Amino acid sequence: MAQKARVSAWPGVIALAIATAYLIALLAAEKQALIIALLVAGIAVAVAAVWSGLLEGVSSSFADHEDALGGCAIIAALVVAAFFHNNHFVLLLIITVLLYSVATLGLNVQFGYAGVLNFAGASFFGIGAYTSAVLNAYTSVPHLLVLLIGGLLAALIGSFLLLPVLRTRGHYAAVVTIAFALLFKTFLEVNDVLGGPQGMQVKGMNILGWSFNDNIKIGGVSFSFYMNYFVVSLLLLLAAFVLVRRLERSWIGLNLDALRLDETAATCFGLDIARWQITAFLIGNFLIGIAGALFGMVGGFVAPNNYTFADSLILVSILLLGGIGNPWGLVVATIIVVVVPEKLQTIQEYRFLLYALMVIMVLLFRPEGLLPRPVRRYFPGWRP
Amino acid sequence: MDLGLFAQYVMNGLMLGMMYALVAVGFTLFFGVLDVIKFSHGDVLTVGAFTALATFAGLSALGLRSQWLELVIMLVLATLMMALLGMLIARYLVMPLRSAPALNTLLITLMLGTVLRECVRLFYPQGANPKPFPALLPRGSVDLGAFNLRLDNVLMLAAGVLVILGVQYLLNRTKLGLAIRAVAQDEETARTMGINFTAIVLVTFAIGSGLAAFAGVMNGLYYNEINFGIGLYLGVIGFSAAIIGGLGSIYGAILGGFLFAGLQIIGTVMLPFASAYKDVFAFAVVIAIMAWRPTGLIREKISERV
Amino acid sequence: MSKTGQRMMVGIAAITFVIAAATAEAKDKVKVGFIGPLTGGVSVNGLGGRNSADLAVRLRNADTKAKYEYELVVLDDECKPNVAVQVATKMAADNEIIAGATHYCSSTAIATVDTYHKFGFPVIVWGAVLPDITYRNKYPEVHRVNGTMINQNDANAELISKLGYKTIAVIHDTTDYGKGHNEYFSKALARIGTAKIVGTFGVTAEQQDFTAELTKIKALNPDVIYFGGLTPIGVRIRQQMDKLGVKAVFDGTSGIVSDAFIQGLGPLAEGTLAFREGAPTEKLPGGKFFIEKYSAQKYDNPPEAYGAFAFAAMDMILDTIEKVGPDRKKLIDALADVKDRDSIVGKITFDDHGQNTVPVITKYVVQDGKFVEWDDSEYASGKRKLPGQS
Repeated sequence: MAQKARVSAWPGVIALAIATAYLIALLAAEKQALIIALLVAGIAVAVAAVWSGLLEGVSSSFADHEDALGGCAIIAALVVAAFFHNNHFVLLLIITVLLYSVATLGLNVQFGYAGVLNFAGASFFGIGAYTSAVLNAYTSVPHLLVLLIGGLLAALIGSFLLLPVLRTRGHYAAVVTIAFALLFKTFLEVNDVLGGPQGMQVKGMNILGWSFNDNIKIGGVSFSFYMNYFVVSLLLLLAAFVLVRRLERSWIGLNLDALRLDETAATCFGLDIARWQITAFLIGNFLIGIAGALFGMVGGFVAPNNYTFADSLILVSILLLGGIGNPWGLVVATIIVVVVPEKLQTIQEYRFLLYALMVIMVLLFRPEGLLPRPVRRYFPGWRP
Repeated sequence: MDLGLFAQYVMNGLMLGMMYALVAVGFTLFFGVLDVIKFSHGDVLTVGAFTALATFAGLSALGLRSQWLELVIMLVLATLMMALLGMLIARYLVMPLRSAPALNTLLITLMLGTVLRECVRLFYPQGANPKPFPALLPRGSVDLGAFNLRLDNVLMLAAGVLVILGVQYLLNRTKLGLAIRAVAQDEETARTMGINFTAIVLVTFAIGSGLAAFAGVMNGLYYNEINFGIGLYLGVIGFSAAIIGGLGSIYGAILGGFLFAGLQIIGTVMLPFASAYKDVFAFAVVIAIMAWRPTGLIREKISERV
Repeated sequence: MSKTGQRMMVGIAAITFVIAAATAEAKDKVKVGFIGPLTGGVSVNGLGGRNSADLAVRLRNADTKAKYEYELVVLDDECKPNVAVQVATKMAADNEIIAGATHYCSSTAIATVDTYHKFGFPVIVWGAVLPDITYRNKYPEVHRVNGTMINQNDANAELISKLGYKTIAVIHDTTDYGKGHNEYFSKALARIGTAKIVGTFGVTAEQQDFTAELTKIKALNPDVIYFGGLTPIGVRIRQQMDKLGVKAVFDGTSGIVSDAFIQGLGPLAEGTLAFREGAPTEKLPGGKFFIEKYSAQKYDNPPEAYGAFAFAAMDMILDTIEKVGPDRKKLIDALADVKDRDSIVGKITFDDHGQNTVPVITKYVVQDGKFVEWDDSEYASGKRKLPGQS
């Protein structure tokens, strides 16, 4: 079989550059009229790109040169952060995007690859956050280790749900995680040990004596203290992204895809359904937990009201909007879901309504999501 | 425990169970007919309750004073409007997705529920605040020892029982009910037998949503207050109840509703902590039941579909 | 240069001068912030506070002698601690906002003190009564113009004991607000010693169903039910008390002093006791002035119980900015030194924790659908009787 020539990387790079410039403009704009204009322009460009087939070109270029373009994406993120080095609020937004992306990547492993429904994403996020709150307040465990423990604890508590999740299918499985989501929030609210409805303060991160909550001054340039957290979040997202991608491409990913697409056939081939569903569920919760632990330290505060069923639904919305199974789509969807309501003050009130409407539209007209996941690609540039 | 106190708890349990059962029956009806979980059911309840409240405000503005008449008009209007809403939802959101994986329907109705809830919160005047619901039932009560038996609770219980019996009668003794059960059992055969599939589905959704409206008004009358969040809470409980009882079985739904209420009351009485733990207890039991009996207490294969 | 060229130069010069002159005349814009519960069960208090703060800004902008032009940035904390931390972070992180009048709900105020300290953002609390807000830490950023709940609970315990009630059941919400009330009321009651608490029940701030707690309380048969919490669940508890046939005096705190409480209950509110620090708005030193100006603006909502304090807080912020300029650090230093400053709520002095002392406690009882001062009421004179009074 003749192999087609590899697509150039340039469409991807150009698209990335345009997207970065757009993001910076959107984040920097203050006047509502300007923001609305930018959003309208952005939507118009996106729709035009889809219709004219340009998006196809961009996605194949991404698919072929994923590693290189991934590197460019990291540079883009650094550029954006450097631009706003002194702006507390924008950096906080960026960090939120990064950490929500990690959490949604976890959900993606569970749902996008293994087909296991998890409506309690925010609860596992909360487990991670509360872990960092409690450990930072009462022990002197090094903070990087706290992140790890947060992830492990989320996976551990998730394993209590394993038996019901494994034995149930479809709607019944949905009940299990929904019941857990409600149970968790109520549990946090009623017991005083974990702060009750008042929540707990979380001490800021402190690695080897470098306190993350102090503003930095390098040379004559002053950076917001959020830069510290930004660097760690970016590294976390990088690690999570690479992990998820490698997982997808490996034989583990192959097994997960098989059992998601057709359980009966997969069992006929000798796949142990239970084992792989457990693996996916635990890995997913681990990622969500770590993201939660870091976010707890960034925000400095945890309360039961942050981790309700509605918040879990937001994570699921991001997953659906971005395209189930496509990590890039997730990041784009997260940016849309987190940044747009913050900038567009007038719709702040209406944001839940708008998310829900958007998801309904997507489910009705484009169930694959914004950036649908293509059929398995074993290697960059490989074609069957 | 003192007998009067016990009776009080039993009464509380019965009232809650009745409300949960009404919602659960709705879920089961939808599942039976279309194999879908319409998650917006709880929020339809909220919209029904608010419609009733708006009707009341309108009637009061018109100067109507008779409590019974107001109550009847509110109930009728809320039920009819929710029936209409249910039909619209079925026609435009659920039926087009029949060929898609069941998950998509679950998700779309979940999102729809959010849309309904947010619309009430944003567009009803001061929707974010809890709203007092008029007390339209007679306020008499009888004191039996430590137990205070209220007339309005008895009336509501009786009305709930009547409604459920009515639905049972409709399903088992009428031609329409026969058609619904046929569609639930086997869609293709029912169609070959000349049953209008779409019409039956719409009617089923209408009935279910009407039930939700009734439950919403009952909720308002019981607590004398409604807020935009009651639907989510009741919806999840109703859903859990329907699942425990086994989807597709009306008896299962009713059983599940009262069981859940019972769990909450037991949790309140037996646990030494704050009563808020009752929800933690009840949901934990639900999860345990799902682990034990993955398709509900009344298993699907044995139960008779709606 | 050609003739047209010369004319153009003159034109441009003229325009530049005009613009320069105009901007020289225009005052520098300064942003100040307000945070309160604008949605949710206690929104009437938040809206009243916002309107009052807005009034203060408007009056100042109308004053030609003011050095700056002020813009009010309003954020909603929804009376939820997590939302409060988010909006507090947003406001404090914005370097253009110099200071803020913040919070009605104690649960939100206590959650955000660390945030304000982290960003060095000076705030004056206008409605939250939990003592910990100013006393748990010694943050120079945090100040408060209204009083704390200690004094109102002292007065509460005193009145209950004086009226001869012996058994009290306590229902409180599980936020720091409700827990604080429980703590201070229990201490005050124990000090007086003639009455005792037969049961304490914690409920969540959004709880719907109180039949469990009230059934247990009915078995205990107390004379009084003391409620430490806010209006939404106060209304529910009172209603469900009636449904279960619990006949006790309903005794609340400043959290239920609100028109929404009476509107929610109708005739059931009759005979409810409540306590608040600070005189009723009409009786404050600047009360008449405040009410007059407030009505003139025709806001949609009344100022409610704490509107006057919100006005005083914002006014003090504006005064201090006029004196030291729009700089957060200078503001913090200036606010550390407030003694006997005049305001519509009386003379304000911040102690070393930034707390103002409000000496007057008003005792209320609901009579005929209105909050009436106890001493002026028919209950005090004996014409009407509270449940359980002989």
